[in-house]
Amino acid sequence: MTASADDGSGDWRRLDRRTLLVHCQWLGAPLGSIALAALATGGQIPTGSWIALGCIAAAFVAITLGGLVHWARTEFRVDAEALAVRSGLFTRRLRTVPLRRIRSVDLTASPVHRLLGLTVLRAGTAGSGTGLSEMSLNALRVRDAERLRTEILAHVDRSAVADDPLVSRINWRWLRYAPLTFWVIGGVFTVAGAASRILDGAGIQAWRLPFVRRAFSEFGSSMLWLTVPALLLAILVVGSLGALVVYAENWWNYRLEWTDARMLRVRRGLLTTRSVTIERDRLRGAVIREPLLLRAGGGAQVRAVAGGLGNREDNRRRSALLPPAPRGEAVRVAAGALQAPFPEADLIAHPRAALRRRRTRGLVLAVLPGVVALAVLGAVFSSGVLLHAAWVYGLVATLAVLWLARDAYRSLGHTIAGPYLLARSGTFHRDTVALQRESIAAWTFTTSPLGRRAGVVTLTAAVAAGEEGYRIPDADAVEAPSFAAEVSPGIVEEFLEPAPTSSGG
Amino acid sequence: MPADPRPQLRPPRHRVDPKARRWWTVQALLVVSGPLLLVAAALLALSVLFFPGALPWLAPLVLVVLVLPSVGYLIAMPRWRYAVHAWELGEQAVYAASGWLWQQRRIAPLSRVQTVDAVRGPVQRRYGLATVTVTTASTAGDIKIAGLSDADAEELSRRISDAAQVVPGDAS
Repeated sequence: MTASADDGSGDWRRLDRRTLLVHCQWLGAPLGSIALAALATGGQIPTGSWIALGCIAAAFVAITLGGLVHWARTEFRVDAEALAVRSGLFTRRLRTVPLRRIRSVDLTASPVHRLLGLTVLRAGTAGSGTGLSEMSLNALRVRDAERLRTEILAHVDRSAVADDPLVSRINWRWLRYAPLTFWVIGGVFTVAGAASRILDGAGIQAWRLPFVRRAFSEFGSSMLWLTVPALLLAILVVGSLGALVVYAENWWNYRLEWTDARMLRVRRGLLTTRSVTIERDRLRGAVIREPLLLRAGGGAQVRAVAGGLGNREDNRRRSALLPPAPRGEAVRVAAGALQAPFPEADLIAHPRAALRRRRTRGLVLAVLPGVVALAVLGAVFSSGVLLHAAWVYGLVATLAVLWLARDAYRSLGHTIAGPYLLARSGTFHRDTVALQRESIAAWTFTTSPLGRRAGVVTLTAAVAAGEEGYRIPDADAVEAPSFAAEVSPGIVEEFLEPAPTSSGG
Repeated sequence: MPADPRPQLRPPRHRVDPKARRWWTVQALLVVSGPLLLVAAALLALSVLFFPGALPWLAPLVLVVLVLPSVGYLIAMPRWRYAVHAWELGEQAVYAASGWLWQQRRIAPLSRVQTVDAVRGPVQRRYGLATVTVTTASTAGDIKIAGLSDADAEELSRRISDAAQVVPGDAS
């Protein structure tokens, strides 16, 4: 710390000069689209495209100029007390954040940054959500950024590093869980959509290209019972490959470790490297997330419930502690992050009414509209096929709904385990959350008209971290108030009264 | 079923101002019922002027789909809300109930209170009402008490900020 402080800690410092090149990357998009348009049309670019290209180019030149001005007018300073950033062209703004308020320091480098040996440093403070609670320096040389991070976090007590600071690292056998993520199907459509948008922007209509038309006509004329499964298989294969690539890009060199007694750090990424540091005091709990497919494969992800990670979107990206991995590993990592065994105690089951409600909801929202629509269409057009489709759909969807409702009901549960509140819910996304009991800032009891008759209530625990509100859906209305009182003493007690002698259900 | 030993959450002690019912009625008229009734009137007028033959089936349809629900909403919602909405400032916490079909009871301890705002909307001002918002560090812990009289709102804001200063806590 002292060695690095010599080179002008206390003086105003500039961002790295190579940042200028980073800002010029925005010129790549218009140049690329002009080149693409010229290539696709053989140099004969229609007027409409010229106008579109001109607008794009103007916009991107403006962005580039903005970046250059930003670089020229931004300075920062770190001293023993605070991090200060001065910026702005006409209105000069000075923002100072006391070092002890900084909760996390995050280094991110896009591929362009990495090519130039640069990285973006973000310092997050305790305030929740708004952009004002974050300061970012775009961009610094990697070595400088790392030194700056040590300076900023110098106030942290580094005396007592845990015995084994490493919590987890990448194990490439986990790659087998990659195809069980959303990217299998979603990835294919995302790529196809993006490609068609780019082509469209460059004035090319994909379905007019000769080879696309030929492929379509051949597809239609050949044997459908063979080509349709083949197409699905192809989508699945391409999607799986895409999922593997996304997994590898996101989680290359993944390491989760305690850098000292109070700082948990996640490092990961192949092209875009990402390093998130979370202060232990801001770590309010952990979530083990099991999307349906991943759960079927015995896998799970881990997320941190932490404050100071930015707004909802930022939080989603930065709070990941473990990629899709075996469930046992997920439990181990969650325990390592909480520095306490992840308390998967026996959960208190919810009343049977919760199961009925899930069944009814599924039947009314998923089965009924489909059956009615198909039956009405079938009756109107007196088409036997549609009528058959109606009862087949009704049968299949009912079975699926019953199975999912049962699964959702079995997932429900909550309990107190030592210093943690444990709650589990969800079927498409089963989340098991462990929340520090003392971090709960408010309790909400929500009831719906049907829920009141069924005697269930949804409890929401508010915390100043993660997704802010964590729900315990459809808990027993009679038990819920005393449970909330037991979890966090000193919030609800004074509004409780003894139950009337006969509380009819 | 034996007598249940578990204590239950009682409703907050204080109702909101009775004028809130009128405010909610005006709001319903402006946002939901008014537009729906206008649509119904326009449909019937068009039908009378241009398609008199459609009236026998259109009139009942409009009545059931547009008129009855919007009138029902206009009559039921403000009363129901008034029966549900309530608030209480305890020694340790603020407690508020809101909603009508879907009801919410939220309790936040004073040690976590960050700011207290009193806001008066244009319609609220006509009836001398205000909404008090108590924010905590978590957005899921913000308490909103709508339909207080001006005097109550001011008094409540003052008492909450005073109490929040007395009760120790770091508001995080």
